[in-house]
Amino acid sequence: MFKELDPILHSQLRLAIMSLLIGVKEAEFTFLKEKTEATAGNLSVQIQKLKDAGYIVVLKNFKDNYPQTICKITQPGVKAFEKYVAALQSYLGK
Amino acid sequence: MEEKQLSENESLELISKMINKAKQSYKDTGISSMLWGIVISLCSLVRFAEIEFNFSLPFNIYWLTFVAVVPQILISIRENKGKNYKTYDDTYMLYVWMGFGISIGLLVFITSVVGNEAEKSSFPFYEYISSFFLLLYGIPTFITGTACKVRPMLWGALLCWICSITTVYTNGKIDLLLTAFAAIFAWLIPGIIMQLDFRKAKNELDRNNV
Repeated sequence: MFKELDPILHSQLRLAIMSLLIGVKEAEFTFLKEKTEATAGNLSVQIQKLKDAGYIVVLKNFKDNYPQTICKITQPGVKAFEKYVAALQSYLGK
Repeated sequence: MEEKQLSENESLELISKMINKAKQSYKDTGISSMLWGIVISLCSLVRFAEIEFNFSLPFNIYWLTFVAVVPQILISIRENKGKNYKTYDDTYMLYVWMGFGISIGLLVFITSVVGNEAEKSSFPFYEYISSFFLLLYGIPTFITGTACKVRPMLWGALLCWICSITTVYTNGKIDLLLTAFAAIFAWLIPGIIMQLDFRKAKNELDRNNV
């Protein structure tokens, strides 16, 4: 029986964001934008969806008088990511 | 990157691509390591020259280690300014090296107090000081070498500890040479290797326009 893939993670940009955040303590919006090469608008929308799912937290700060958005993966986010990878492996293993 | 549904294979490829992309950004510049490798080896070699060639500078060369804290702070500020992510390693390593800095400061104080007391007896305490410093140099270098997978630093740390043991049996002049030798292998050379790796990763990122 195949495990169901988490629909929140099973989309290109959201998965890319989670893959980047899994290895860091926190990352700025600019880091995610650089690495994913996504547009700011699209990235914001996907970040909001991950935030709503409780997979990441988004902190708004100021750095050198400029607004700064910091994203951090949450514990449920880490668990969901691990579960997603395990599900992928079960698909590919069969 | 556009929003689209992925096949299982594409998902795994994307995960590994993103993790690799992120990894390329984590490279340490190695500048701090080079700075301290130069400062410590220079201080030891100058002190060795003072003893060997019987001259003395108008100031204690070891004050250079305190002066070097200023460029270190500037380097840290500059590196953090352009950084748009924070890794777990960054946080732990900061605490490890901060703890090392505090320990070195305390060791300078302790050895000067004990050294003054030892001068009243015939015990040549100053002949053994390098052993304590080298012992301490090895600890953060070993942690950085293993945790951050900087292999040359790991070898450098082991060399610090070997030199620490050796200096127990050698005279003060040789101790200074061994300290310079340890600083070059523990910090200067790994720093140069890290800087080359950093430049290589940066060029790759620039080439891929990420």
